[in-house]
Amino acid sequence: MTTHGTPLLRARGLSKRFGGLAAVSDVSFDVHAGEIFAIIGPNGAGKTTTLNLVSGLLAPTGGTLELQGVDITTLTTHARCHLGLGRAFQVVQPFPEMTVEENVLVGAQFGSRRVSSAEAHERAEAALDRTGLTGMRDHPVEDLNLLQEKRLEIARALATQPSVLLLDEVMAGLRPAEARLAVELVKSVRDEGVTVVFIEHVMPVVRDLADRVLVMDHGAELAVGSYAEVTADPRVIEAYLGVDDDEDAPDHDEDARRAGNQGGDQAGDQAGDQVAGRAVDGARAGEDGGATPPEEAR
Amino acid sequence: MSRLGRDLLVTAVFAVVLVFLPGILRGAFGQASVSYLSLATNAIVLATLALSWDVLARTGQLSLAHAAFTGAGAYTTAVLLKLADVPLWVGIPLGGVVAAVLAFGLGSVTLRLYGIYFAIATLAFTEVLKSAVQQLPTAVAGGAAGVNVQTLFRPTFVPGEMERWEVAFLRNQSYFWVYAGLLLVAVVISVIVQRSRLRSAFTAIRTNEQVAGVMGVNPARMKLLAFVLSSFVAGLLGAVEAHRLGSVSPDGAFAVHTTVLALVTPIFGGLYTTIGPILGAVVLASLEETLKRTFSEGYLIGYGIVLVASILFMPRGLVGLLSRFGRTPRRDRPGEGSSGTTAPGATEPPDGARTAAHAPLEAGGRP
Repeated sequence: MTTHGTPLLRARGLSKRFGGLAAVSDVSFDVHAGEIFAIIGPNGAGKTTTLNLVSGLLAPTGGTLELQGVDITTLTTHARCHLGLGRAFQVVQPFPEMTVEENVLVGAQFGSRRVSSAEAHERAEAALDRTGLTGMRDHPVEDLNLLQEKRLEIARALATQPSVLLLDEVMAGLRPAEARLAVELVKSVRDEGVTVVFIEHVMPVVRDLADRVLVMDHGAELAVGSYAEVTADPRVIEAYLGVDDDEDAPDHDEDARRAGNQGGDQAGDQAGDQVAGRAVDGARAGEDGGATPPEEAR
Repeated sequence: MSRLGRDLLVTAVFAVVLVFLPGILRGAFGQASVSYLSLATNAIVLATLALSWDVLARTGQLSLAHAAFTGAGAYTTAVLLKLADVPLWVGIPLGGVVAAVLAFGLGSVTLRLYGIYFAIATLAFTEVLKSAVQQLPTAVAGGAAGVNVQTLFRPTFVPGEMERWEVAFLRNQSYFWVYAGLLLVAVVISVIVQRSRLRSAFTAIRTNEQVAGVMGVNPARMKLLAFVLSSFVAGLLGAVEAHRLGSVSPDGAFAVHTTVLALVTPIFGGLYTTIGPILGAVVLASLEETLKRTFSEGYLIGYGIVLVASILFMPRGLVGLLSRFGRTPRRDRPGEGSSGTTAPGATEPPDGARTAAHAPLEAGGRP
C-alpha cells in the first residue's frame, strides 16, 4: 500500500441514511494521486451511493470529503467538477437531442474554469479521439451502441479535465473483447496522470487494473488493500460466498484467518479466484437495469 | 464567418426589412395598408412574446408567469409616470428591469421545482402579483380600475395635408417600429444563446439537470439567467403595450391569455429555436385575422381546431414540419427535438424515451 504525501481524495466516516436504511455507514478511504482505486462489493453494498456522495449527487448524513486538501463535503456537483472530479455513470445518461460531439462539448465548456470556444472544441476533440468516438461525432446519441455509449460517458468526463475520474461499472454489459479495450482505455487515462476510482463487478478487471481495492458490504467498509490482500481476507470471502452471513462468530473468523495464513499466497489466490468466479456470476445475474446485454443494445 | 456572425447578419437584414415594411405596404395597398400594418404589428408583438418565453423554456422551465412580467412592466411605467412624472423613455426600460428583478426572485424560489409543479407555482405567482397590484392604494395603482397613461404617439390630423387614414397609418407605423425594435432585442438574445456555450448549458439542463451539474454546468445560475433575460423582454413589451393602449388594468395587464399565447406560439412554430416562435407568430396572427374576417362570430373555434391539429400532427411545430421536407438531416438541428414535456402527444424518437425512463440516478444505494 502506498501512502506518500497528502491523499488526493480523502473520505472520513462517510455515511448516508435513507430514512431507516443506512446505505453507507462510516466509510473512510484515501485515494492517492496516480492510483487506480477500485470499490467492490456485492449488490446493495453501497458502492454507487458512495460514488454519488463523492461526486455530490447526494448529500452525506455524516462524514467529510476532501479533494486535494480542500473540504468539499458541502460543495455542489458543479463546484466539485471544477475542482477536478469527473464522473461516468453506470446507467449511461447521454443528453438526448444532442450529437455525440455536443455531449462532450458540455463537459469541455463547463468542466473547468472558463475556456475559449476554440479551446473547448479542442478538448472535446481530444476526448473523442481518446475514446475512439471521432467517427461518430456528428451522429445523434441515439445512434450509439452500448459500448459507444460507455465510451461517451468516459469522453464527457475526460473533457471536464478531471484530476480524479469516477467510473461506475463501465464494463458492465460489455463483451470480453470490449471490456479489454475499456481496460486499456482506463490504463491509458491513468498513465496521463488522471487518478481513477472505479466500481466493478467483473473481478478479473479489478485484478488487472486496481492498485488498491475497497471492499464494501451492507454499506460498511469491509477491507482495504491490494487485490491479493482483500481477496484473501476471510471477511471478504464470507461476504461474497455468504457463509453464515448473520452469525459470523469471532472464533469462526479466527479459523478462517489461520487457514488463510497457513496457505500463504497460494491459498489467497485460490480464494481470490473463488470470489472472482462468484462475483462474475453475480454481475451477470444482477445487472440491475444498468447494463443492457450487447445483443439488445441499439 | 462564425455561426453567431452569420446569424447576426441575418438579423441585421431582417431589421432592415422591418424598417421598410410599413412604407412598402403603404405603396402597395394604399388605404388598405392600415389593416395590413396592424396585422404585421400583431405578428411581431406575438413573436416577441413567444421568443422571450422560448428562451426560458430552453432550460426546461415551462413558465405560466409570462403575463406577470408583461404586467409588471406595464404597471412599472404607469405608476412611475403617475407618481413621479417619469418620462416614458425611462419608464419603459425600467419596466423591463423590474420584470427581470421579479423574475430573479421567482426563479430563485422555483429552482427545485420541475414540470407541472413549476408551472403551477408560476401561475400562482401571476395571480398573487395581480392581487397585490389590485390591493395597492388607489392613488398609486388605481385599484381594480387601473390607471390611464399617456400614449406614445399621437399624430395630429392636419386637414388638407393628409387623408384621415394616413393619420392612423402614421400612428401604426411608429408603434410598428418600436415593437420591431423589441423583437430585435429578443432575436439578438435568442441568437446569442443559441450560438454560444449557453445553448449547451440550457439544453443539458433541460434534458438532465443532474448530469449537467456533474459536467460542471451551474444549473441555478443558468436557469436564473434564462429567467432574467426572458422576463426583461416581456417587461419591455408590457410597458410599451401600456403606452399604446393608454391604460393599464389588473385584468388586462395580467391576462392569462397573454401567458397562453406566449407558450402556444413557440409550440406551434417550433420550440427551442429562434425562427420557430417567429414563424409561429406570423402564421397564427395571419390565421386569426383571416378567420376573424371570414367568420366574425366563433372564429376562435376554428383557431382552436387548427392548434389542436397542429399539436397532434406537427409534434415539432412548423420548423419540424419544414425540416422534414427540407435538406437538413436531423443531426444538424440539435436545438430542436421535442422535449416531450411541453407538447402533449409529441412523438419522441423511441430511444429518447430511454433516458427519461431510467431513474435519473441510482440514489437508492443500489450499486
